[in-house]
Amino acid sequence: MTNLPATRRTILKAAGSMLTLPFLPSLGWRRAAAASPVIPPKRMVFLGFGWGVTNETWFPDRKATGRDYPLPAGLEPLERHKARFSVIQGLSNRFTTEAHWGSTFWLTGANRYGEPGKSFSNSISADQVAAGAFGAATRFASLQLGTLDAANSGHGPGLSLAWDSRGRPLAALDTPVAVFHRLFSGESQSLEERQTLLAAQQSVLDAVRADAARVRKGLSTADTDKLDEYLQSIRDIEVRLAKEKEWLTVPKPQPAGEIREPAEKIAGHDEIKVMYDLLAAALQTDSTRVITYRQPVGALLTGLGINVAPHDMSHYQPGERMQASQKRDAKQSELLAGLFDRLASIREADGSSLLDHTTVVYGSNIRSIHYLDNCPTLVAGGGAAIRLGEHIVLPDHTPLANLWLTLLQGSGVNVQSHGDSTGSLDALVA
Amino acid sequence: MGGSRDPQTVAALRLAASFLACLMAGAGERGAQAAAGTAPFDSAGRHIIEPFLAAHCLECHGAKEPAAGVRLDDVPFEVNTVETAERWQKVLNVLNSGEMPPEERPRPDDAAKAEVLAVLSRAMVTARAVIGDAGRVSLVRRLNRREYRHTLRDLLGIDIDAAAVDTSGLPDDTGTAAFDTIGSGLFMSSDQFEQYLTIGRAAIEAAASDWPRPGDLQPEQKSGRREVETDAQKKIAGLLNGYFLTGYRKAKEWEASGGKPASEFGFPDEHEARFRIQQYENHGPYLERFLALPHSDAGAYLMYTTNNYHDSELIAVPANSPPGDYVLRVRIGATPEATPLRRFLEWGMQPSKGDDEKSDFRSLGTFHVTGTIEEPQTIEIPVRVTAHGPRTWRVREKRFNDGKADGFRNGLAKAANGVGLDHALWIDWVEWEGPLPRSSPSPICSQVFDGLAKKASEEVLAKTILRRFGTLAFRGATPSPEFLDRLVAVYRAKRQMGAPPIEAIREPMAVILASPGFLYLADPTAERGDATADEPSAVGTESRRLSARELATRLSYFLWSAPPDEELLALAAADTLSKPDVLATQVDRLLADARSHDFAAGFVHQWLGLDRLDFFRFDHELFPDFDEATRAAAKHEVYETFHTLVSGNVDTRNLLQSDFVVVNGLMAAYYGLDDGGSPVIGDEFRIVKLPPESPRGGLLGMAAILAMGSNGERTSPVERGAWVLRKLINDPPPPAPPNIPQLTRLEGQQITSRERLRMHQEQAQCAQCHRMIDPIGLGLENFDAAGRWRTEEHFYGRGWVVEGKLAGKVVRKSWPIDPSGALYGGPSFGDFFQLRTEIAARHSDGFVRGLIESLYSYALGRPVSFADGETVDGLLAAAKRDGYHLRDILHAIVATPEFQTK
Repeated sequence: MTNLPATRRTILKAAGSMLTLPFLPSLGWRRAAAASPVIPPKRMVFLGFGWGVTNETWFPDRKATGRDYPLPAGLEPLERHKARFSVIQGLSNRFTTEAHWGSTFWLTGANRYGEPGKSFSNSISADQVAAGAFGAATRFASLQLGTLDAANSGHGPGLSLAWDSRGRPLAALDTPVAVFHRLFSGESQSLEERQTLLAAQQSVLDAVRADAARVRKGLSTADTDKLDEYLQSIRDIEVRLAKEKEWLTVPKPQPAGEIREPAEKIAGHDEIKVMYDLLAAALQTDSTRVITYRQPVGALLTGLGINVAPHDMSHYQPGERMQASQKRDAKQSELLAGLFDRLASIREADGSSLLDHTTVVYGSNIRSIHYLDNCPTLVAGGGAAIRLGEHIVLPDHTPLANLWLTLLQGSGVNVQSHGDSTGSLDALVA
Repeated sequence: MGGSRDPQTVAALRLAASFLACLMAGAGERGAQAAAGTAPFDSAGRHIIEPFLAAHCLECHGAKEPAAGVRLDDVPFEVNTVETAERWQKVLNVLNSGEMPPEERPRPDDAAKAEVLAVLSRAMVTARAVIGDAGRVSLVRRLNRREYRHTLRDLLGIDIDAAAVDTSGLPDDTGTAAFDTIGSGLFMSSDQFEQYLTIGRAAIEAAASDWPRPGDLQPEQKSGRREVETDAQKKIAGLLNGYFLTGYRKAKEWEASGGKPASEFGFPDEHEARFRIQQYENHGPYLERFLALPHSDAGAYLMYTTNNYHDSELIAVPANSPPGDYVLRVRIGATPEATPLRRFLEWGMQPSKGDDEKSDFRSLGTFHVTGTIEEPQTIEIPVRVTAHGPRTWRVREKRFNDGKADGFRNGLAKAANGVGLDHALWIDWVEWEGPLPRSSPSPICSQVFDGLAKKASEEVLAKTILRRFGTLAFRGATPSPEFLDRLVAVYRAKRQMGAPPIEAIREPMAVILASPGFLYLADPTAERGDATADEPSAVGTESRRLSARELATRLSYFLWSAPPDEELLALAAADTLSKPDVLATQVDRLLADARSHDFAAGFVHQWLGLDRLDFFRFDHELFPDFDEATRAAAKHEVYETFHTLVSGNVDTRNLLQSDFVVVNGLMAAYYGLDDGGSPVIGDEFRIVKLPPESPRGGLLGMAAILAMGSNGERTSPVERGAWVLRKLINDPPPPAPPNIPQLTRLEGQQITSRERLRMHQEQAQCAQCHRMIDPIGLGLENFDAAGRWRTEEHFYGRGWVVEGKLAGKVVRKSWPIDPSGALYGGPSFGDFFQLRTEIAARHSDGFVRGLIESLYSYALGRPVSFADGETVDGLLAAAKRDGYHLRDILHAIVATPEFQTK
C-alpha cells in the first residue's frame, strides 16, 4: 500500500545509472537511510482559518474537561474521530492586538512592534522550525497551501501561514491545480534539458548578484541591511535549486487511485476538500513532511449560499449572521473530519496509520469577533505524543507558542523556545 | 528528546531573554533621545494617574510583598523603553477587561476610571511612537506594487493590469506601514523575486509585439462592425418561440386534456409541465415586449436581467489580428424611460472561459450616455491588444455584479407593471478598429533598438541592447560590466536551448527587471567618473544630500508614482535640478502631467484609509444604485477633488467645507445635482457649484467617506466618528482594545442608533473614547450607509415575496433623525451643517497638520520622527500664512532640506 518502497527502488535504480554525477554523496546518504529499518517519519500539518469561530457553540463547556466531555454543535461532525483529537482552551498570543489578523502571528508568537523603529516585524513560524528539522529528507522541505480568497478570509498580512527564519512571508500554492502539478506532474523535459534549465536559473541568480554588488557600493549600513534582504532571497533560491538538483533523477511519485488533476475553477467547500486530499497525498508519497494551509472563508460562505460578508459574519450577533457563523463552523468541522478519515485510512509500512505519526493542528489567532484570547485550538494525531481524546483547559493566557514548542519537541525537533514561549506544556504530554 | 527541559536550560533562556529585553530597551532609549521633551504622561495626566494608583492599586501592588509579584509603585512615568511600556500596557489591559481591581475591593468611580483609562491609552499611543521612532533615516527601498506597475508602464508601454498579466503573487504592500512608500515596511523574499522574474517575462512578451523586426511594416488597419439587432433578435425570438412558447403551449394542451399523463406531451412529469407554464408567465411578457418595441429591428435594447438573455454586447477583436492599439466603438442612445442614474454604460473584460460570466465581469469603467435612440452618440474606448491578453470586451448597463440584484430589481418592476424593468439603453451597432499607428512608441523602440550597428557580432549586439535597456530601467544609471557579462551569459544559455535571438533577448531583459538596480530606489553609483551628477556627497554616512539623480527619482516617485522622464534625468545630468527655481518649475510640470493623478489616488487612498470601502458588500435592495461602478466613481471623487485643489492651488480647507464639489456625470446623478440648472454631462470630473442648502462640499459630504463608515447595510456612527477624529481633527483615539465585551444584548430590537450607542457610555472602558467619538458619528446620521441624504432612520424587516422566492426588505419602523450633540469638551451643534462648520472653524490647523505630516511621510518614505517637529511646524506656519494653498504646501515639502537628504 505504501509508496515508500517504490520510491526507494526508484532511487536505487536511478543512483545506479547516475554514478558519475557529482551529487552522488547525497544520494548515497539517502540510500543508506533507506536501507535502515522503516520507522514512519513524523509529520506536522497546520490548518488556519482566519475569522475564528462562534464562541457560544464551538467551544466545549469549560467545566467538562477530560475524556468525557460532550462535543458542542460546532464540532459535532468530528464525533467519529473524538478519540483522535484534543480541544485545548486558554491559549493566546500575548502580543497580538490586530483584531483582523487571524493568521499573521498565529504560528510565530511574534511582537509586531518587537523591533524598535519598525512598524511591523515577525519571526519564524512553527512549521518552518519543523521544516528545518525534517526537510532534508524530502523533495519539498515544506509545502504552503493557500487560497485565492485569502484577502476575504481574515488572515491578515502574509502570503501563507509560514514565515521564514527572518520573519519574511513565504508564498503559498493558491489553487489545488497548482498543488497537484507541484507534487505530481511528470517532467515533460529530458534530464539533460532539466539540467540545462537549472544551470540557466543559476546564471540568472549570478547576474542579479552582480548588479547587487554595484548597488551595494556606497550604501549606508542601514541601507545595506535592506539590500541584504534581497541577497538573502537569492541565497534561499540557491538552496532550493541545490535541492532540486539533488532530486533531479528521482521521478515524482504518482498519486494513489482517486487523485486526479483538479479543475481550474473550484472554490469554497470543494476547494478545501480537494486541498485536503492533496495534502494527504503529499504526506502519503512522502513528498514533504510539513504542510500549512491558509484556508478560504469568504468563498466557503458564498458556496454555502450565505450572503453575509465574511468580516460581518465574524462580528456575528444573534440572527442571520450568527447562523452564518455556525454553519461555517459545522462545514469546516465536516471537512476536517473528512481529512481525518483519509489520514487514518492510509497505512504506514509497519501497519500503523499515517495519522498516528502526524500532528494536525486546526485553529486561528482570532477566537471570534474581536477577541484574541482563548484562540480556538484543536490538535489531532499521534505525531507529537500528546494526550488525545480530551478537552484540556489551560490557565488563561497560556502562550500559544508553548503549544508549538510542545508539539515540536514531541515530534523530535531539538528546540528550546519558540516565539514568546515560556516553556512546554506538561499538561498535554501523554 | 521530548517535552522535558532541565531547569538550568530554562534559567539560561530567561537570562538570555532579559538580556534581549535590555538590548531592545537600549534601542528604545536611543529613539527616545531624539524625542527629548515628549514624555507620554504630561503633568496633568500624572495628576490623574497617581491618586488613582494610590487609592486602588498600591495597597496590594506596593513595594512590600507585592501581590502576584507585580509592583506599581516604581513604574516610571517616562515611558521610553519597551519594558516600561509593557508594564503600563498590562495595567491598561486589566483595567479594560475589568480584572482589576478585584471584585472584593472597592470599585473605582466610573468617571474617574474613564479618565484614567483615557490618559493611559493615550500615553500608550505616544509611547509606541517614541519607542518606534527610527529617527530621520529614509531607508533605501524597493518599488511598491503601484510604482512597479507604473514603472513598467513607462518603460515598456504596457499596463500589466490591462494586459491581464497575473500579479496576484506580489504583496500589495499596504497595511504594514502607514504608506506603501515607507521602506521599512517593504519586504523581499525568494518567492517574490521569482514573481518579479515571471511578471517581467510576461510584461516583456506583451510589449515585444510592437518592437521592430527586420523589414517590418505597419500592419494594415482593419475594422469590423456588428449590427447588433440580428443577434439579439435571433436570441430573444429563439428563446421566446422555442423554449418558452413551445413549452407553454404543450403544457396548456396537457392542462386542457383533462388528466392525460404529461409524458404524452413530451414532459418527464407534470411538475415540469406546470413549471413551463410558470416560466412563460414569468419571462414571456418581457421578451415579447423587447420584440414589439420600436427600433428593436434597427438595434438592440440592453436588458436588465441575466438568465440566458442578451444582457450585454460583446466586442471581439478577431484572434488573427496583430497586437497593437485598437479602438472599440459603441453607437448608443438612452430610451425615454431611462432615469438619470440608468444612463450609464459599463464596460469590462470578458472572462476567459466558463459559463459563470456574470460574476467574472471585470469592470473597467463607465460612460455617460447622453444620446437618444433618434440621435445616438458614439462612445470610443481605446484598448491595447497584446499577444496573450484579452481580445473580447463587454458593454452592459451599469449594475451590481451580483446577479441576484438584477433579478430582484426586475422582479420589483414586474410586480408593478406585469412585464419587468423598462429598457434604459439601446445600441445601434458596435465595432472595433486597429491596429492604429502608435501615437507614442515605447521608449524601447527609439532608445534601445534604434541605430544598432548592423555588422556587430550577435553577442556584441545583445550586450549593446542590454546596456541600453539596463540604463533605461535603472533610471539613468549604467549597468556594471560584470552584470552585462552575466546577462549575456543568460542570453547565450537561452540561445543554446534553441530560442531565436528575438526571443532569447527577452530573458536577460526580464532579469534586469528583477535586479536590485531596477527594483530598489537606490542610486549611489560611486564608480562612475562624473561625480557631480552621480556621486553622492558623503558616501557611507547615515545622512547625506541626495545625488542629482536620486533627487529626480524621489521627486518623480513622489508626484507621479513613476520613474523620472528624460527631462528630469537631463536636469539631473546637468546637475541643475536642485536649484530652487528649476526644482519649483519641475514640481509644477510634474503636477500638470496626467501621471499626477496616480499620486493623488495613491496618496489619498492611504491617507484617508479608503480601503475600508471594499470591506463590505452593499445591500442591493436598500441601495440599488450603489453598485461597484458607482463605488469606484465615489472613490475617484475623493481623489479628483484632492487633485483639483492641487492643480488650482486652492485652499486645503475646502476639504473640510466647500461651496463646490468635483464630480462627473455619474456622481452628479447620484447626488441629484446639476450645474446651475444644466445637467452635468460626461465622465470627466469637474468643479460644480453647490446650491447653499446642499450638504455636499468637503470630505464629510462625500459618498465614499460616508459609505466606508457603514457595514454596507447600516451606518456605523462609531466608525465615522473615529475617522473624523483621526483624519479631520487629527486627534486619533487609541485603537479599539481587543477583548472588550461586544455589546450584543440589544440586537434585533427596534431602537435608534442613538439608543444603541448610549450603552457605550455605561461602562467606563467604553465611555473614555466613545464620549469623543459618538457625538460626531451621530451628527452624520443624516447620511445613510451609502451616503445619501435622509431625514429618517428605518428599521427593516423581511417583507414580501416576488416570483415565489425574492424576499424584499420593508420598513417596519421609522424615526426622525436627531443629529444634535456636542463635541467632547467643545461647543454643541444642532445639525450636520453646524457640526461641519464647527469642525472647519476650530480644527483646520489640526487637519492641515495631519495632511502635511502624511504628505511628508509619504514623500520621504519614512514615518515622521519627533526630530522632524520643527520642520513640520515650519511647513504648517508657512501654509497658514499663505492661505493653506495645497500646491504651495507640496512645493514647500519638496524645498525642505529633509526632502533633499537621504
